[in-house]
Amino acid sequence: MTRLLKVARQEFRMTAANKAFVIITLLGPFLLLAVTVLPTLLAQREDGIREGTSVAVVGLEDNHWTALKEAAGAAGLSLRQGNPGDAEALKEEVRQGHLNGLLLLPENYLEADSFPYYSETGTDIALSQTLEGLTARIITAERMAREGLDPSIIENLSRPPRFRVLKASSGDAEEGQDFLSIMLTCIAFMMLIYMTVLLYGQMIGRSVIKEKSSKTVEIILSSVTPGDMMFGKLLGIGLAGIIQYTFWITLALALSRLILPGLGVETTISGVTPSNMAYLGLFFVLAYFLYSGCYAAIGSGAEDEQHMGQLGMPLLLFLIVPMVMISSIVMNPGSPFTVGLSFFPMTAPLVMLMRIIIAPPPWWQILLSIILIAVTTLLVVAAAARIFRVGILMTGKRHTLKEMLRWMRYGEKR
Amino acid sequence: MIELKNVSKSFTGLQAVDGVSFRTRPGEIFGLIGPNGAGKSTTIRMIMNILAPDSGEILFDGRPIGEKDKERIGYLPEERGLYKKVKVNEVLRYLGSLKTDDRAALQKNIDSWLEKFSLVEWKDKPVEALSKGMSQKVQFIAAVAHDPEIIFFDEPFSGLDPVSSDLLKDSILDLGRQGKTILFSTHIMDHAEKICDQIFLINRGKELLSGSLEEIKARHGRNVVTLEFSGDGRFIRDLPGVEQTMDYPRYCEVQLVEGYSPDLLLKDICGRLSLRKFEVEAPSLHKIFIGMVKDSENLTKGGPHDQAS
Repeated sequence: MTRLLKVARQEFRMTAANKAFVIITLLGPFLLLAVTVLPTLLAQREDGIREGTSVAVVGLEDNHWTALKEAAGAAGLSLRQGNPGDAEALKEEVRQGHLNGLLLLPENYLEADSFPYYSETGTDIALSQTLEGLTARIITAERMAREGLDPSIIENLSRPPRFRVLKASSGDAEEGQDFLSIMLTCIAFMMLIYMTVLLYGQMIGRSVIKEKSSKTVEIILSSVTPGDMMFGKLLGIGLAGIIQYTFWITLALALSRLILPGLGVETTISGVTPSNMAYLGLFFVLAYFLYSGCYAAIGSGAEDEQHMGQLGMPLLLFLIVPMVMISSIVMNPGSPFTVGLSFFPMTAPLVMLMRIIIAPPPWWQILLSIILIAVTTLLVVAAAARIFRVGILMTGKRHTLKEMLRWMRYGEKR
Repeated sequence: MIELKNVSKSFTGLQAVDGVSFRTRPGEIFGLIGPNGAGKSTTIRMIMNILAPDSGEILFDGRPIGEKDKERIGYLPEERGLYKKVKVNEVLRYLGSLKTDDRAALQKNIDSWLEKFSLVEWKDKPVEALSKGMSQKVQFIAAVAHDPEIIFFDEPFSGLDPVSSDLLKDSILDLGRQGKTILFSTHIMDHAEKICDQIFLINRGKELLSGSLEEIKARHGRNVVTLEFSGDGRFIRDLPGVEQTMDYPRYCEVQLVEGYSPDLLLKDICGRLSLRKFEVEAPSLHKIFIGMVKDSENLTKGGPHDQAS
């Protein structure tokens, strides 16, 4: 076994045989679930109304009341008619939580622009909007009828035609993904890469700093080269990360494919396909090595963790840019700016992954992006090893990025 | 065999090592001696290829040191540390495995060293549970567990209590007797005097003197004999070979002419006095060293020491 692998094995052991690692591995899926499934669940909850929801209506004429009650019943909402004299008592019932809402119509409600609705919480938007829509329809229909117009004709005429968006790359047969679904997938994938890359990158940076502060570095360097040590760390800790990732992704796929449908929860995230997951894995690995290499370099020159945080700010920026730009990237994946970002190594892992999810670019573009990231990673790790060689024995002083760049040239002399 | 030829290294504005040359022979305990900041650790780091020399050559069996050669070397750095959360045995196995593939022999050595240092019960405890002295012993084991031919000890005794210090000293002497080449650095002359065959005295990155301990003492010793006796000793100052005497109430210090053997003096005074004590005063390395450093300091008239070691 080469020394590189021995270092990697030990680093893996020190990372994985650790309570924090086990806890994060086990808690990770819940985080993932929160990011991917929760928005879907919440979105579903919006159109649905909880069973047993009841609202009192006061002041509606009998024929309108019958129509509203029928329409509400179809939406799963049970209505109760109240006398105008009971308004105060009903309000109290809403306050107590026995009623979910109270609609109080004024006498001339057909002419009114608005009328009061008392809600249990004030934020029960799904309920109030549903009821508002139903009431408005009945009242506008009545207004049309009074002017001698047939509401059904008007409704039929004013029905706007809608777009049926198809994704050209998926062929005509397949229904296109909707904006929300792509957006959710992109956000979820991006968050996942962002969090893990940052987590592991900083773990590597800390591990390098620890090597210096615990003074183990000289013993290790008396046996292995700084390059072996760096790559060993990246491989060992990276392997722990990949195991963690595999566990998470498998669990997420199992949940979204097997368990959630079984529970009757329909996930609308059509972007979570096996091929997209494979690309997620690939770009995670690329982003991991690139950013870990950067953090290793920063850790080599940093005095302590706080100093590393300062030096790492520019790196963070590269990760944040694609997150801020996410909606413009999703809406316009072919813009020169987006394409440029998908080739610029520091942003490429995130942006190229998004482009692939939205509309797969030509294969050579994907390949080029991957090659650019890989080459940059190699350069960064080599630079990290050099900075490490020089920075390692210089404790007690805070160095600037400029100084560290100079060390890269020092390190060439071996 | 390790050979340094005119090796220099400077850090921004500091000449840490300045034209140092020496060679160590197999089976020899070589002492690299000097005050703090003299350039000892920098020299050892350059031999270990952790730092690159600015100029000069470092040869290992006549050729530049390679990665493979590191397996034959054991190293106890001055800046010591171990992974705190990892168990003692695991750390030793890991560090050893970077040097050797013979895991069985490695474990055997680790066990016997732990036994020797009474650390067996700590074998499966994390390093952070050890006291400073214990972890220093573990570091020592890490340097020797893979049974290297050549061992570098950089300030091996710093921070050890006298008992542990003696234990370590005996171990180093043992290793020397086994034929290992040992290079060790210290600023404590007493240790050097007890252990080293060869001495290399370094100050401000430059060689002050080198050679075997006997040579150095012979070269720098004042030829002085201390006498304690009863009777009239005034005749001593007129004896052949006596340069001058210093008479004290209870004893007398006799300075002999350079090269004149104390044995001849003993022969001359025998029977003429009732002698209680006859001692050839060997100059301690400590005295030689202090004298040399002071002399060189007066010559260079430099500021306070601030070099990185």
